Amino acid sequence: MSEKIYACLLRLFPSHFREAYGDEALQLFRDRARDEKGFFQQVGLWLDLLADLAVSVPRQYRDVRPALADAAVQQRLGSAPAFFVLVDESPGPEALIFGCVLSMIALSTFSILLGHGGNHRPLSASGYQRGYATDSRPSAMAHATGQVPADAEDVTMSASRMELNEAMPSESQSTALLPPDSSPRPEALPPQLLDAAERKRLMNAVIDNLKQHYIDPQVARKMADALLAHNKNGDDDAVTDGRAFADLLTRQMREVSQDMHLEVVYSQSPLPHLLTEPSPEDLARYRKELEQDNCTFKRVEILPNNIGYLKLNTFPNPSMCQATARAAMASLNHADAIIFDLRDNRGGEPAMTALMAAYLFDHPEYWYNPRENTTEQSWTLSPVPANKLADKPVYVLTSARTFSGAEQFCYDLKMLKRATLVGEKTGGAAHAGVFHRIDDHFGIGIPETKTINPFSKTDWAETGVEPDVKVKAADALETAKKLAESKLQRK
Amino acid sequence: MPKRKLDPLPSAAFQILLALADEDRHGYGIMRQVAEQTESRMRLGPGTLYSSIQTLLEAKLIEEVGQREDAKLGQERRRYYRLTSGGRKLARSEAERLADLLRVARAKKILKGDYV
Repeated sequence: MSEKIYACLLRLFPSHFREAYGDEALQLFRDRARDEKGFFQQVGLWLDLLADLAVSVPRQYRDVRPALADAAVQQRLGSAPAFFVLVDESPGPEALIFGCVLSMIALSTFSILLGHGGNHRPLSASGYQRGYATDSRPSAMAHATGQVPADAEDVTMSASRMELNEAMPSESQSTALLPPDSSPRPEALPPQLLDAAERKRLMNAVIDNLKQHYIDPQVARKMADALLAHNKNGDDDAVTDGRAFADLLTRQMREVSQDMHLEVVYSQSPLPHLLTEPSPEDLARYRKELEQDNCTFKRVEILPNNIGYLKLNTFPNPSMCQATARAAMASLNHADAIIFDLRDNRGGEPAMTALMAAYLFDHPEYWYNPRENTTEQSWTLSPVPANKLADKPVYVLTSARTFSGAEQFCYDLKMLKRATLVGEKTGGAAHAGVFHRIDDHFGIGIPETKTINPFSKTDWAETGVEPDVKVKAADALETAKKLAESKLQRK
Repeated sequence: MPKRKLDPLPSAAFQILLALADEDRHGYGIMRQVAEQTESRMRLGPGTLYSSIQTLLEAKLIEEVGQREDAKLGQERRRYYRLTSGGRKLARSEAERLADLLRVARAKKILKGDYV
């Protein structure tokens, strides 16, 4: 038995050593085991052997290195990459099969990730079209940021197609809010191939927009130079596909600015010209829709064990829904814990997320919002008078459909360690810039705000917010209830 | 490479050279001889023993002299090793180096006695 154990341990040595001396080492072990009988001698023998292994195994491997290092020096002279074979023997069939299986797994994982990543590409043409239609309505973002698009060609852009409905209570309502004359989208045209002149024209349009609108004129100039240089060097020459060209320009801009909010957008179907400001009738209808929908506060109730439960499907405009929000929070004021159900929340107004979050703190907290300049208003208005929720456990239910403003709520509470997120990773829709139309097929999204993210270099854009407790969205409520109950029992 | 590994001469390698100075021995014989000549202070484990033997073989300080049985240890055939003239020379120069060192130690009154 002990010989078998030692034979196994011998496998720790490199194969060249085992081949040369494995049998003899085993023989020596047998000799010693035979001669050194008795409990203490056996223990001594094993201590010897283990100490010996600890010393000599690393030495055997280390001794290979000087040879490699020498070889490396010689080979590197050619400044070409060098490869070395560490073991002389050829790999056995198991190793080859294992290698095959591993490569297949790696390859398929890679292709799955590639496909998955494609789904998160910001602002795909179709997504943009819908977002555009929605955002051009009561221009909720403009309300939120206090910015009204400077000209009719500009529309506040949600930089991910995931954000389509965020300003609207729901998809159906957003459709209802479309103007009566909203004609069906123009038919998609076959993609046109770009020639050199066309590429140059588009690049110049991008440069003009950057110089005119980008927050940092110096960086804008650098980006313009880089785009021109790339064009001159022929880096753009091979690209004739509109989407590929938009992606290429985006990459070139980001290389210089490191600003992931910047992007050139291609749409195969023609981009509509922006409509004018929403009419008072549109706004009135929007308000009425919200009222009828209780400002998307779907459920506000006290669950068993005095756990407050609030299901909210957007973060609506506070100017219309502040009273509803405050009433909802007040009705939960005596709860011992609170669960925010954002599994169907498509986002909305950053101001509303801050208003709700104010209830969760007893002092002003920095409320990170990637869409606004950092100002005094970036802090929550805590404490809220008569509020008792500031020190209560908070759970936020998330799903892959939790978007945008709802993700801001999740992200900030998570970063402030104020809530436990339960559910799925969120959608990953964060940024907004101002969209500038270049022509029927091209546009550029340019952030015009400068924001401080105190938590991290990146936020949830495109990656989503990771839950603290990962469960299926359907199970999130039950899980959160159990978590809350056990937490309250421990108190 | 072996040269580098043997300069300075590791004590295990030196002990093996000494163990082979009077007769050819197999691995276990070397181990026992080393234990004896160091009053059991050095017990070479298989890993240390055979990597040292490997190095000494590569440096041609010892050589293999074929396999045979050791009557005292049963029927198994064992590889025997022998000190080469180069090995003997190196062992002597190492011993002289140590003797020089000893002289210094005595001169500095770190060691008493004067028989070296």
